[in-house]
Amino acid sequence: MKTAAHHLSHGLEHTIEHLAHLLPAQGPIGVFIHHNTLHAFQHLPFDEAVQSAARLYGNEPYMTEAAYRCDFERARITVGDLDVALGWEADEPIIPFLLDRRALRRAVLLASPALDDAAEISWWLAEGGVSSQRRQLFEACRCLFRVSAGTASGVPARQPPTPPAVRALVDPLMIRLCGAFLDQGVAYWPMPDRQNGFLAAVRTLFATTRAVEPLPGLAAEMARQHRHQWTALQTVEEMLRRLDISVAAQEDFLRDELLALGGWAGMFYRLQEEPYLAPHERLPCSLMEYLAVRLTLVACAPRVEAVEAPPPDAAAAELVMASALFAAAEALGYQVSDLEALSRENRERFQREVLAFHPIERRRVWHVAYEYHHERDVLRPIAERLQKRGRRRVEGTPKAQVFFCIDEREESIRRHLEELDPRIETLGAAGFFGVAMDYAGIDDPHGVSLCPVVVKPQHAIREQPVAEHADLHERRRALRRLWSQFAQGALKSSRTLWLGWISTAILGLFSMFPLLIRILAPRRYGQLMARLNDLFLPEPRTEVTLMRNDEHGHHLNEGLVLGFTVAEKVDRVASVLAPAGLTTRFSRLVVVLGHGSTSLNNPHESAHDCGACGGRRGGPNARLFAAMANRPEVRVALRDRGILIPDDTWFVGGYHDTSSDEIDLYDLDTMPREHDGELAELRMTLDRARAANAHERARRFESADKAHNPKQGLEHVEARAEHLAEPRPEYGHCTNAVCIVGRRELTRGLFLDRRYFLVSYDPTTDTQGQYLTRLMSAVGPVCGGISLEYYFSFVDNQRYGCGTKLPHNITGLVGVMDGHSSDLRTGLPLQMVEIHEPVRILFVVETSPEQLAATINSIPFVEELSRNRWVRFAAVDPENSQISVLRPWGFELYQPEPGETPRAATSFSWYAGHRAHLPVAEIEMAGNR
Amino acid sequence: MDVISMSSDPMRTLLFLTVALPGAGFLVLALSWLVGVELPEKVVARVTGLIYTAAALCVAGGAWLMRAVHLPSLHADYGDWFRVGEYAFKFELYFDGVSLPLLGLTTVLTGLVAAFSRTYMHREPGFRRFFLLLHLFGFGATLGFAAGSFDLLVGGWELVGLSSVLLISYFFERQGPVTNALRVFATYRSADVGLLVGIFSLHHFRHSAALPALDLHTLDPQQATIVGLLLLLAAMSKAAQIPFSGWLPRAMEGPTPSSAIFYGAISVHLGAYLLLRARPLLESSPVALGAVALVGLATALHGVLVGRVCPDAKTSLAYAAVTQLGLIFFEIAMGWTTLALLHILGHSTIRTLQFLRAPSMLHEYHRIHAASGGLVDGGGLSLEAALPFALRRRLYWFAVDRAHLDRLLDSAAVRPLSRLSAWLGRVEQKLAGGEKLAVRPVPVGATLSAPMPEEVDVLHD
Repeated sequence: MKTAAHHLSHGLEHTIEHLAHLLPAQGPIGVFIHHNTLHAFQHLPFDEAVQSAARLYGNEPYMTEAAYRCDFERARITVGDLDVALGWEADEPIIPFLLDRRALRRAVLLASPALDDAAEISWWLAEGGVSSQRRQLFEACRCLFRVSAGTASGVPARQPPTPPAVRALVDPLMIRLCGAFLDQGVAYWPMPDRQNGFLAAVRTLFATTRAVEPLPGLAAEMARQHRHQWTALQTVEEMLRRLDISVAAQEDFLRDELLALGGWAGMFYRLQEEPYLAPHERLPCSLMEYLAVRLTLVACAPRVEAVEAPPPDAAAAELVMASALFAAAEALGYQVSDLEALSRENRERFQREVLAFHPIERRRVWHVAYEYHHERDVLRPIAERLQKRGRRRVEGTPKAQVFFCIDEREESIRRHLEELDPRIETLGAAGFFGVAMDYAGIDDPHGVSLCPVVVKPQHAIREQPVAEHADLHERRRALRRLWSQFAQGALKSSRTLWLGWISTAILGLFSMFPLLIRILAPRRYGQLMARLNDLFLPEPRTEVTLMRNDEHGHHLNEGLVLGFTVAEKVDRVASVLAPAGLTTRFSRLVVVLGHGSTSLNNPHESAHDCGACGGRRGGPNARLFAAMANRPEVRVALRDRGILIPDDTWFVGGYHDTSSDEIDLYDLDTMPREHDGELAELRMTLDRARAANAHERARRFESADKAHNPKQGLEHVEARAEHLAEPRPEYGHCTNAVCIVGRRELTRGLFLDRRYFLVSYDPTTDTQGQYLTRLMSAVGPVCGGISLEYYFSFVDNQRYGCGTKLPHNITGLVGVMDGHSSDLRTGLPLQMVEIHEPVRILFVVETSPEQLAATINSIPFVEELSRNRWVRFAAVDPENSQISVLRPWGFELYQPEPGETPRAATSFSWYAGHRAHLPVAEIEMAGNR
Repeated sequence: MDVISMSSDPMRTLLFLTVALPGAGFLVLALSWLVGVELPEKVVARVTGLIYTAAALCVAGGAWLMRAVHLPSLHADYGDWFRVGEYAFKFELYFDGVSLPLLGLTTVLTGLVAAFSRTYMHREPGFRRFFLLLHLFGFGATLGFAAGSFDLLVGGWELVGLSSVLLISYFFERQGPVTNALRVFATYRSADVGLLVGIFSLHHFRHSAALPALDLHTLDPQQATIVGLLLLLAAMSKAAQIPFSGWLPRAMEGPTPSSAIFYGAISVHLGAYLLLRARPLLESSPVALGAVALVGLATALHGVLVGRVCPDAKTSLAYAAVTQLGLIFFEIAMGWTTLALLHILGHSTIRTLQFLRAPSMLHEYHRIHAASGGLVDGGGLSLEAALPFALRRRLYWFAVDRAHLDRLLDSAAVRPLSRLSAWLGRVEQKLAGGEKLAVRPVPVGATLSAPMPEEVDVLHD
């Protein structure tokens, strides 16, 4: 008996664990990690996954049919694309010798869509001025086919078993309690007893205090639970019993209860699994306790008579089906007589086929065509270049080499840099530059992981002031502490009684000054603040504690080792240089730029930071990488690995802010003076490049003047970063679509419109494919996650995304709500995705198809993404310059269609005056080839 | 406090413009919309900027002119709106040391919020609707502050209420904003009964509701108590005093800048302004005066207690505002009118800034946290720590549940009323014997990839 009960509860635990994966996986919003929104469905093929998720959550699986048709109108999808998409699927005769499936589907897609709302159809029949001929055809469709309800449906609606009236009582209460429990320091008075867990805290609140009950009998129920000292699991079981939920119905019921406030439940689960994600206070979170509280509230809510769902309207369903048949018949040019002439059997087959091609199915085909078109647009210019023009590269030793993150936002600045000075070579490597570490800068209270989220850093790096600046640092620290006390006081005081009285009545009017400047001259305000900072808080010169030259004496610091040994340094430097093929041709100056993004009034700020640094800023990684590569003992060891860094080569680390387009270079004081001249020249080119980059970015912003010059473009983006009212400080990864893993020669001089992740990879030095495996295991999940998060947040921004930013309200420093009481909103806001094209990312890898297949298969995560078509792959064979595309049935040789890539003198002349996505173009750069 | 005739014309014109300009802005936007002209965002923003800059200059100019001729106050009559028998509804404005600073504040803050919204609301489908309502609010607020009689004040008061409700339900495609807007609307309307009946009684007792109501001492204490309490009721709902304060967090459903100008700045202070104007009347009624003081103090305590447990940015600001509004009521009751005025000005300004910065709360907390070296002290002086265990938890729940006020209002007013209306509905149905009206559900949840179904009539042609 006991074992049976034990078994049962074990089953329940299992069920809940399983259901937890359906919840949004987003953690506290301060660190935003892009990931596949439908991670729980990743084991399913893409189309099956989005459609089951659509059934489960009631979300959109693809763009709307209207959107695809709109793209068809503007030739973003062509008839040819549709034919290819239909050609990939099995054909079957419907009416022998007269009609097959492809022809039917083609006709239906190309004709105007069927009306699918019964009221609309009735209105159209009555008032639409329908010609008698069409009316006859419609009537024929209605009479000739045996239409019965229940066969033509796309996504059936889900019925919540808990009545909405009960939800209306329970949800606000849950939101109030969860908000109080998870709060990371906004409330002055934190929830009592919360260190004992959610269930215990809520129980104490109601059970021991004779509180005014929000629901009848709640206090008594809580007291009972308190008395019995039920665990969360026991409480859930007990409440299921009390609510009369049969074992068979349990899973559905629990799923509904969890998804009712999926954002909050998901946050509990995330913090249960990864408590260290909590920005300030670690709390004992448990999804089971969340569920225990929720079910107790549901059980105590007054029983509401379940409102009978209205029976399905048979007449309406019949009308909708008739309309679909009518649209198909009309699309095929059938007359009434044609339909009447069909045999009964053929008629039934026709009906079945038409109804099987329901709206979701149509959208699926549209989407295949939409992506196929994109694929051709991507591959054609590369194929043309390979066949006609050959690769473009810098002859001899480049003047300088600049490493950027692979981020597609860096594509444009790389292009501008090469355009401005064709002797410069740019390279792309994942923005943590091989340095996975726990890092604390001089201004940081504690260390944070600067590496991809899948990696757990083993090494701690601390920034320290150099000895002669120790005093300065102390003074700065003291001043900052003083400031923090003042700022904290100001923040809190206006909300209290006595201090608030003084601060609002007497000092309140003084806030008119910041109000005026910040709204009317945001850029000036930023400059003023920067100047004040320089004046009062001068930054000391610093160094990082990367030295650990004694192999044995590990300094232990929270389980982390402090610094890197020589061998570890060598590994890290080699891990970036070798795959990129940079082993000889070193220029005298190699700049390594990490990136991040700064913006104000933006809860989603972290989503713009470096994904490879775990949603943080990658400046320190670049700085460290450069410092390691500059060490003589490292260079000596690198020689053994075939990486020959000349003695007169110097590495400089730096940071690129993708929002304000500022570039900082680090540790210039340690650079040998003989590089000064080159650095000054490079610095100038970088400044021109970032202005050009800002100008190109500004073209996408509707509020930027098209007539701007680069300087004004830079001012425009700087103002954006400083503006309190700016919901779009930058467009982030909004334009991501492609990832190219290969040599820069493949893409150098191509205008890629900030849509391509660019990973430097030299297949000629990678005979075993080990570099490729290492690159793909980092790049695959990161780029795939970004692409899929944008896909879902775009196709259903209200439900997969978090809707418009404008009513967002930060709660507890963990997330945002709409207004004062809503579910935690997860996903990306409208303002971040609005110019996105929802295509699954296309990886174009410079390697043989066989090698690519082997690499994919050797990384389980990437293999799953690939097998289930969550991402797309193509291989560019370095041997014969042929391109093969990975289809579900294997690699297929790509045949370029005729046509030529457009040419433009400069990037500027190509994009000037345009706001929309632009096709790839060849930029004629002087001195190239 | 004398008077009309000596006012020179430029002064009158300038002061008239402070009210007329926002009104004209509303008319321009509304008419252009009505005739189907889609004004581009830039034009809307520019017109708005011009209007509020001009209005603010008009206030400043008017005040300067008044000062130049040593005129402490000005009662400007711009003619009758309409006449019914003996009664004439005069369009008269009244300017003095109370209304002029508030008019200046309103025009400046509305202008700043408009400048903010130009960027914030960019590309929003409801951009023009937002600015239209902002102008309606601007007109209502300036009219309310400049009104020369209680009769006219009601007009401004109602326009502010209307625009407030329409902006709360700005995102009407979701259920939450609509439900909450309705709740706020109901709260406003039921308490506005106090304002209307109060003014009727003024007319009844005194045959005039003109401002400044200095001769209101002439009312006997009983009459003054009746009118005073009625006006207090109206002021309480507008200024979110207990027991009505529950609507204020619900009003945070709209876009951030509208929350700032309405619930941080102008709209909530309109209630305090009403009391400032009714001050002479209150003086002759100790009961009413006591009630104002009591409501104010209780609200201040309520706001500070509830505010302490709020974990979200906007609700926390809402209760911070409630606290200070309570104190302002208290100041008015104590007769510290200059302080109250200063308090209104300072509080509006700081709260506007705070609301506009609410989305950067995360950023600020992390900065402070870092600067303090990770040692942020969460709370300050915690009196509640002195309470015994059970009482402390009980008080916590009391605060989290916002003093159970919404629950009380629900059971005392909302549910009986809806039961009554449901019953009336049944009676009507029985009497009329009609069928239920079938209402077609409106499609909800427009997304980027789902343009609203204008395309559906593709089939028709």
